[in-house]
Amino acid sequence: MARRGRVRVAPLRNLPIIRDLAVDMTPFFDKWARAKGRFVPSAAGTQGFAEVAPDSPERRAADAGLECIGCGICYAVCDVVAWNPDYVGPAALNRAWTLVNDVRDGDRAGHLAAAAAGAGCHACHSHQSCAEYCPTGLNPTASIAGLKRMAFVAALKGEP
Amino acid sequence: MNGRLELWLFVAHRITAAVLAPLVLVHVATMIYVVQGGLSAAEILSRTQGSLWWAGFYGLFVAAAAVHGSIGLRTIIREMAPWTGGSLRLAAGVFGLAILVLGFRAVDALT
Repeated sequence: MARRGRVRVAPLRNLPIIRDLAVDMTPFFDKWARAKGRFVPSAAGTQGFAEVAPDSPERRAADAGLECIGCGICYAVCDVVAWNPDYVGPAALNRAWTLVNDVRDGDRAGHLAAAAAGAGCHACHSHQSCAEYCPTGLNPTASIAGLKRMAFVAALKGEP
Repeated sequence: MNGRLELWLFVAHRITAAVLAPLVLVHVATMIYVVQGGLSAAEILSRTQGSLWWAGFYGLFVAAAAVHGSIGLRTIIREMAPWTGGSLRLAAGVFGLAILVLGFRAVDALT
């Protein structure tokens, strides 16, 4: 952060600046919606608690990406977002990855399709700036790699 | 933008990359070996002409390189220059086709 002893304070990159350090986060959250970052219930709440084994592969994959606080740092440091304004960005894709691995979700294939659509997970170049600067220590690059792999296999199998 | 198109371009890009990796290694290793051995152009051609193996090897090489190169070039231009959309897709397709034609002409001359 401090290069030659000087700390530079600047608004988040890749987002419209409102004033001084304040940015408009609307494009950031619009892209969460585009990547279908919303849980889709599969069973009514009256049917009791869903049992998810803590050591199941899906739960562990989702676990690794759960602690996102939506701060937008990963989006601001991502060069691919800067180069390709259509790219949904690390946070939205990390969120999609947790839902694709959520066994309670009713539309996991839909989440995967949304994450792989257009300038989605495949636009990522794995620079790993998001993982480097994430204040909660998440690794969105790993989540995006998981989405790429899963979408690749799904495409070859002819799944939507 | 067609959502599925990007996914299929990614799949094609990765598969052709996997095809190209061993082909490039064999190509480079053969070139070094041939140059070290001091073979002339005529001596090389006498070995490759009529060889189905080399025709297949470089035919596959050209096809994979045309697909891989055109997809990669499109991505680079889209990110590095203010050029996107259908015209860029068309240009990348023309580039791939040009590589295909020029490459197969070279394969034809070699084998």
